[in-house]
This record gives sequence, structure tokens and C-alpha cells, in this order.
Amino acid sequence: MIRPRFLRPPGARPEKEFLARCLQCGQCAQVCIFDCIRMRTGFNPFVSGTPEIDPRKAACHLCMRCSAICPSNALEDVPIEESRMGYAKLDTKQCYTWKGFIICRSCFERCPLKGTAMILERGMYPAITDVCVGCGVCEHVCPERAIVTIPTRFAG
Amino acid sequence: MKKPTIKTWRRALQIGVALAFILIPILNHFRISYFTGNFLSFYAAGLPLADPLAVLQITLKNYYLSVDLFIGAGIALGLAMILGTAFCSWICPFGLLSELTHEIVQRILPRRYKGLTTQINGFRLKIIIFFLGLTGFLIFSTTPVLNQLSLPAWYSRIFQFYFEQKHVSFAIVMIFIILLVELAAHKRLWCLYICPQAVLLVFAKLINPARLKVGFEDEKCLCNKGRDPCLQACSLSLDPKQLSHILETECNNCGDCIVACKKMGKALQFQFKSSK
Repeated sequence: MIRPRFLRPPGARPEKEFLARCLQCGQCAQVCIFDCIRMRTGFNPFVSGTPEIDPRKAACHLCMRCSAICPSNALEDVPIEESRMGYAKLDTKQCYTWKGFIICRSCFERCPLKGTAMILERGMYPAITDVCVGCGVCEHVCPERAIVTIPTRFAG
Repeated sequence: MKKPTIKTWRRALQIGVALAFILIPILNHFRISYFTGNFLSFYAAGLPLADPLAVLQITLKNYYLSVDLFIGAGIALGLAMILGTAFCSWICPFGLLSELTHEIVQRILPRRYKGLTTQINGFRLKIIIFFLGLTGFLIFSTTPVLNQLSLPAWYSRIFQFYFEQKHVSFAIVMIFIILLVELAAHKRLWCLYICPQAVLLVFAKLINPARLKVGFEDEKCLCNKGRDPCLQACSLSLDPKQLSHILETECNNCGDCIVACKKMGKALQFQFKSSK
């Protein structure tokens, strides 16, 4: 298996800058009310203790408590629309609504940026726009695992 | 009832801090977050505290210092300027574990450390590790790697891992191995020779010659030549009677020698005077 795909908390700077700033104090994980932020375990001195989010286990709801507390500004306190964690990709071949089984809308109802990042095409079919910040809620709630969140940590 | 000695107060504070860092992740787990963080960075009801070395690393790397970290590291360094490296002996939970290990060895094998007087300057090795880690981080690495050498941070991280994400960290074994090595090889090995976190605190305390230190009054000393309970009491095996420059760098103001001297004439006292 390749290295597990994980997201940084909302507001995280690009990966290199983030790692240079992160103090590994774990306060973001301690204030997270959704328990989605986990400190990276193990002894790898380059990443151990830094926060990560696995949206399959628990997704970020963009409450931004973590970026507010971060003492070293590794997580910037930005508006949620600019929190650049990644982007979500919807596989229309797997989605219940797109396949025509049932009207599901789980992802649309839970999306923190409902209406801008997640829209309903033709009033019915969920679709993800460029506004998506990749919080991973849709991936977490999707019953068919049709959505994958791709981190943009390494971009920029 | 006996009046509590300095050592009793010190142990109480050490154990209190060690327990507090077990309690804080539990409270955080139940959404009570007045206190958050570990020994690298900590908020005590809004008051920021930070490890000066961790702050120095990220400041040099990013040319940026946030207000909270400036205040946090400033408090730590300011306290070191006034009280010396009291953090190591009064607060650090690894210091507590290391001292307890040392005391157990002394109970079992009382003759083990006889004649072992350290006049070796362990501070030099610490400085080497400090600068190697710092330059290594600035040139090769993206992460402040010296943070991983902070054993109090690992101590608090074990409980962060356990109570917040139900992960039993292997760091418990690591701390045990270090304690076993100390037990077998050299007492207080990590604190004397390796811990790079203490370097900045020592620099800060050397700035201020009028900081808190152990003073020795020759005329009050009742000990015969060759008998020195103060030296026996010192867990770093420094000799409080000869306060040379080296010893002042190493001394953590724990006060064990003062307790030992209490029955022997009270020649040793905490004082703020400059020794010159």
C-alpha cells in the first residue's frame, strides 16, 4: 500500500512551510470538537507529532478552532472559503443519484459550503465546483464511497 | 509535624506537573480546553508558554515570530534568568523519573556511585548536539528535528496520543530504555550530557550574575575534611563547596544540598547574590 492519503487541518500552509512552522504541540488536535485531527504517531522525526485528518474516519467540519489556536501560525486563521485543504472528486459511476437508484444527497446536505462548493445539477445530481476546499465531509458521509478527497498539501 | 523541606516542595511540584500533563489530555477529551498543549507549546488559560528551543528553531527557519510564541519563550527565558535552570529540577517530568531512578539505585547499591565526582563538563556535549541539530534543521530538514529530543515533550505526547486517539505510543518503551541506560551506565546521563533543550536556559541564566543560586559560607561549614553530605545529596554529583564556573553552569538549583546541609551548620543557602 502506498503512503496513506491524509489532509492537513484547514488553513495549513503548503507542506514544506507547514512542517517548518509546526511545533508539534498537538493543540489543534486537543481543541478539535469533531476529533478529526490526529497527531501523527511513530518516531519519524520529520513528521511525528504533526496533525493530520483522515476523512474516512472523521471529517473536518471547518469550525476553524484549530487554526485559531495554532501558536506558530502553521495553520493560518483564514475564512473557510480559503482554507485550501484539498479538493473532492465525485465518481458519477458510483454515486447513487447519478446511477439513478435513489435520490441520496447526503453529501450535499452536509457540505459546509453547501450551494457554492457543492451544487445540485439540474436540481438533482450533486456536483462539486472549484470552490471546494476539501474538508472531506462529503467523503465521510457518502454511503457508496463515490467521493475521494485529494489533498493539495504539496501544491504551491 | 515536621516542617516540609525544600525537597518535599520540589517533589510535590514535580509530581503535580507530571500528573497535570496526564490530566490535561483527559480534560481536553471531554471538551474542557482551558489548558492545552504539551511541553513544546502550552496555553494555561490564555497565557502562552513555549519551549525556547522550539521557538528558536522555527524563528530562524521562517524569519517569523508570532506574538504568542515570543511571550511564551520570553517567560521561560525570563524565569531562567531569575531562577536559573530551575525548570530541569522543579518541573521537568523526565527529570523526576531520572531522579527517582537514581534514588532507587542508591537504595539498592549504596556504594555504586562512591568516588564518582563529575568534573566532566557535560555542557560541551549539549552545545555540540544543540548546534548540530540546529544547523542540520536549517540546511537539510524541513521539520524542527531537535523537538524530537525533548523528553518532557515525549512524556506529554504519550498521554496526548493515548487519551485523544487511543494510541499506545512506543515512546513509553523509549523512555524506559533511556532510564535503564542511565541506571546501568551513568547517573542522570540524559540531563547531564544530552538534553539540548537546557542549552538556551543555561545561556539565559548566565546573562544574569545575580540570579538565584546556591551560596556557600566557608566559616559555617561543620563538616570534617573528606565528609561532604552535600556532595552525596547532589543527584548531578556536583560539589557545592567549590562553586567553580562549570558547576554553576550545571547546577539546577534543586536544593538537595541545602536540605542535606540543614543539620550540618546551614552553610549552604539559596541566595540572589553574585558569587564574585
